[in-house]
Amino acid sequence: MPLHHYRPPPNHGGITSTQQQQVTHQPPAMDVLSQSRRQLADYTNSLHRDGFLDDQFSQLQQLQDESSPDFVMEVVSLFFEDCQKLVTNMARALSELQAVDFKQVDSSVHQLKGSSSSVGAARIKNLCVAFKTCCDSQNRDGCMRCLQEVNRECVLLKNKLQTLFRLEQQIISAGGSIPM
Amino acid sequence: MGLILRFQLRQSISLTISEPGESTSSEHHPNSNSFLRGLQVALVESDDLNRSVTRRLLEKLGCSVTPLSSGYECLSAIGPATSSFQVVLLDLQLPDLDGFEVAARIRKFRSRSWPLILAMTSSSAAEEDDLWEKCMQMGLNGVIRKPILLQGIANELRRVVLQANRVV
Repeated sequence: MPLHHYRPPPNHGGITSTQQQQVTHQPPAMDVLSQSRRQLADYTNSLHRDGFLDDQFSQLQQLQDESSPDFVMEVVSLFFEDCQKLVTNMARALSELQAVDFKQVDSSVHQLKGSSSSVGAARIKNLCVAFKTCCDSQNRDGCMRCLQEVNRECVLLKNKLQTLFRLEQQIISAGGSIPM
Repeated sequence: MGLILRFQLRQSISLTISEPGESTSSEHHPNSNSFLRGLQVALVESDDLNRSVTRRLLEKLGCSVTPLSSGYECLSAIGPATSSFQVVLLDLQLPDLDGFEVAARIRKFRSRSWPLILAMTSSSAAEEDDLWEKCMQMGLNGVIRKPILLQGIANELRRVVLQANRVV
C-alpha cells in the first residue's frame, strides 16, 4: 500500500505555522476503517481494564450476528430500563419516614445484581455485593450511599456504552462490520 | 379436561444427527454441539433481561426456544401430553410459584423422566451442595448457575441429554 504524502495547503495570506499544522488532510477510506477499528478496540479494552465491563459483555457481543444484529444494544437498553425502575423503587423504599422495608430493598438489589451480571456490568454488580451487606444489617444510611453510587455508575456506564456504540457505527459507516 | 396450549411450537425443526465433517459458521466446535440443534427447549425465566440473553444463547446453540415468564405459564405450556418440549430450563426464583413446585407438578403430570428439567439458580457456591441434593430428589436432571455462559449451558445440556439417551 503506497504511503500517503501529506501536502499542506498553499499558504494564503498569513496562516501561521501552528495553524498550518492544524489543517488535516482527507485520509483514504481504508485508513478511516482501520483507524476506527483501532479506536473501538482501544476503547473496549479500556472499559474492561477499568472494570466497567467483564467477560459476560464480550459473550453478549459474540451472540450478535446477522440474525440478531442489534442484540447487544437491545439487551443494554433493557438493562438501563431495569436500573431506572429498580433505583426508583429503592429510593422510594429508603425514603420511608417510618420503618424502611429492607426486604424490598434487598429484593431490588438482588434483581440488579442478576441483571448486571447478565450484561457484564462489573462495577454495578460489585456494588450490589456491598449494598446487600447494608440491607442485611438494616443500615439505612449505608443503603442510601450505595444507592447513590449505583445511580452514578449507571449514568457513567450508559455514557460509556453510548460512546462504544457510536464507535461501532463509525466502523459500519466506513464499510466495516460488527463484530470485527 | 384439557389444558389449552397457548404457544406456537416450531414444528418444522427436528433433532438431527450431523454428518461427519459438517460444520456451521455459528459453531466453534463443529461436532460437539451439533446434537443440540433443533432441541425443543422451554425457557422459564421471569426476568426480561435474563430471559432475552439466555434465549439468544440457546438459539445460538441451535435450540428451538419457547420463552415463558412465570410458573403458571410454564405449567400451561408443558402440561398437555401433546407438548413436545424435550428440555425445560427452569428459574428457581420465580415470582408466582416456587421453582421446585413447578418441577414437582411437571414430574407428577408428565413423567418421572421427561421432559428433562434443568434448574437455573443464582445461589452461591456455598449453598450448592444442598441445592444439588434437593434437585436430584425432586427429579430434576441438572443445575445451571447464573450468570449463564455459553459453554456452561452447552456442557450441562449435553451431559443431561446424553445421560437420558443412555438410560433409554
